Amino acid sequence: MAGPSAADVRSILSLPNLSTPGPSQPRKPPATTERARKPEGISRELYSLIGPSAPTLAAAQLSKPRLKQKPNLGGGGRVKWEWRSFKNGARNDPLRLSHWVKASTDPEAEYKFAVYNVQPNSYTYSQEEYTRWLGDKEWSKEETDYLFDLVRSYDARFYVVADRYEYPESNRTMEDMKERYYSVCRKLVRNRPWAGDDASKANLLASLAFDKEREITRKGYVASLETRTASEIAEEEALYVELRRLEQNERRFKKERDELLRTLLGIESGLPDIMADEESLNATTTVEPKRSRKKGDTDPPVSASTSMNTISLGQPVPRKQSAKSAAYDALHCIHRTEVPQTTTTATKAAHQPVYLRSYKLPTPKSATGPRIAQIMGELGVSHTRLVMPTRENSAQLESLLEAAGALVETKKQVDRIEQEIRIAQERLGKSSEGGDDEAMDVDENDGEGEANEDGRAQSVVSTRSSRPRK
Amino acid sequence: MSSAERVRVRGVSIYRPIIYGNTAVVLTPKEREVLPTPDHTHRWTVAVRSAASAPDSENVGGADDLSYFIKRVTFKLHDTYANPNRNVDKAPFEVSETGWGEFEVQIRINFVAESGEKAITFYHHLKLHPWTQIINGEPEQPPPLEIAAKIGPVHSWQYDEVVFNDPFQTFLNILTAHPPTPLPKAKRRPIPYHTSNPASLEASKGGTPEFTHEMEKEEAERLETARKKIISEQEKWRNILIEKEKELAKLKTQLTDA
Repeated sequence: MAGPSAADVRSILSLPNLSTPGPSQPRKPPATTERARKPEGISRELYSLIGPSAPTLAAAQLSKPRLKQKPNLGGGGRVKWEWRSFKNGARNDPLRLSHWVKASTDPEAEYKFAVYNVQPNSYTYSQEEYTRWLGDKEWSKEETDYLFDLVRSYDARFYVVADRYEYPESNRTMEDMKERYYSVCRKLVRNRPWAGDDASKANLLASLAFDKEREITRKGYVASLETRTASEIAEEEALYVELRRLEQNERRFKKERDELLRTLLGIESGLPDIMADEESLNATTTVEPKRSRKKGDTDPPVSASTSMNTISLGQPVPRKQSAKSAAYDALHCIHRTEVPQTTTTATKAAHQPVYLRSYKLPTPKSATGPRIAQIMGELGVSHTRLVMPTRENSAQLESLLEAAGALVETKKQVDRIEQEIRIAQERLGKSSEGGDDEAMDVDENDGEGEANEDGRAQSVVSTRSSRPRK
Repeated sequence: MSSAERVRVRGVSIYRPIIYGNTAVVLTPKEREVLPTPDHTHRWTVAVRSAASAPDSENVGGADDLSYFIKRVTFKLHDTYANPNRNVDKAPFEVSETGWGEFEVQIRINFVAESGEKAITFYHHLKLHPWTQIINGEPEQPPPLEIAAKIGPVHSWQYDEVVFNDPFQTFLNILTAHPPTPLPKAKRRPIPYHTSNPASLEASKGGTPEFTHEMEKEEAERLETARKKIISEQEKWRNILIEKEKELAKLKTQLTDA
């Protein structure tokens, strides 16, 4: 007799008669077919591990990554370079330099770095401008001229300027020079007529600002920062940590105190965040009246809410008005000016009576009037009548006339200086005639005219230097 | 007026844009026959109006009734007219007449009693003949009557602003109760010609002109470009001056050395 079969054991143990090995066998084939459908790009081992459960993700990740096409740098990496001379447009001397360029570049092309040769805005001033605005008891005009010359020749590089500065009997620090230079520039910008708008002028002025005291203090700080010893650094750090700790404590203490106050006093404590709550409350209540009126409710709730607001609303009201008032003033053609807070009650005599705007148009000063009128005529502008004499346009006209007046003044000064030059030249001619044979040289130089000024100055120097030899 | 109303609002200046000027048309021969003065060639209207034009109106300006602050406008015509002082006490503030010549009209505006202001007086050159191009600073001869009649009405208007400083509270209330019609932003009709802007001659042709906000901007730009030109000129001359000063300084040192 054969041993007990599995079925017997099952029956003894009263287990349900589960599937025999027979039915389990047909299960396998589908698994093998699945494996056969293994997607490409997955290794067999991996597929047998993960199975077909995550095919889409695997396929997405494992498909070949698409890379950008590699740039083709052309010519198989062979570039021809040439040694060429070029003209630098930023130079005004005839010097020719050479450099390596790709052979493919256009030989006629402009030197592309020439545009970066930017000249800093250099300021000059006339004698009249100097006496009017630029006088300074610390600085003579000659020394200021000397400073400006240096700044110009060294492109406002003040370290170089300070290094080369050699003016007799003066001992200037770099801060002194900077302060003088920038204060002169600022005064010029401020006082000369300005072509652009006010904002650009303010920008330029801000860029010319220089605070000497602050600069000195700053440099002092930097110097002391650099010369600290190790122990000082350690002490500083310790102090800093200590300070932070104290600050934190202080903040925590204040927070606790506020909380306490708030719990004890509520709104009356007058603490900021509660105020904020109240504001939002106001916002809701101010909306309310409208809504209730729409609904046709009875009055009492409205008046109650408004009366509640009256006190707390005090703050935001003027702000609202000022925002609106600009539009209001524009609509009603109102222009407001600051009333001087003098308590003297203006009498009737002080009142400026009604006028037509065109009757208060700015007029040029009588002395320069005809020449200004001439300039205006050349420009095709009528300064006595405007098409639209509004406030803005008459202000515009005023600045135009101011500029024209300044121009007339400058032209007058040029005339005067020219006259003085003529006188000086005549005197120079006469005085040198009084001398001996040098006169010939001077006359020759005079004949060369004003253009060749340097040449004349040199030759005069040379004649002078030749005198002792005789 | 109670004392409370006599309070001036300090620091406030309020203005009202107005225009004044005239319109003129050439009379037809038939019209001239009917006139008691057959030598008159034109019919004209001189007026003070609000600056903005009423839509679909044949008038220049006049969108608002100005009688809320103007009590009376007096036009003083040439002495050859019968009673030359013409008082107009209610809107529209204008006088129509016929005539043959151009002359200065004196215009006087009296303000309402609430303003507490005195009258202002100014002049307008009555323009009958068409505007012409200005050549070498002199306007060209106007065309003869027959041609002028075909060109249509001649307009000569000046924009201006009546400015009240520190007005009485009551008067300010009156003014703010009548905000003026703002000028249209952009051009819808021809531009009123003005001698200060001769370039506007072409743009002034072809119908009833109208004042616009654009004209103000255009003039501001004209002034601005002129100013820029002057300033660049100024830069140039300043540099010349500085050069000359240097030259003079050099000469002077030569003189002292010599």
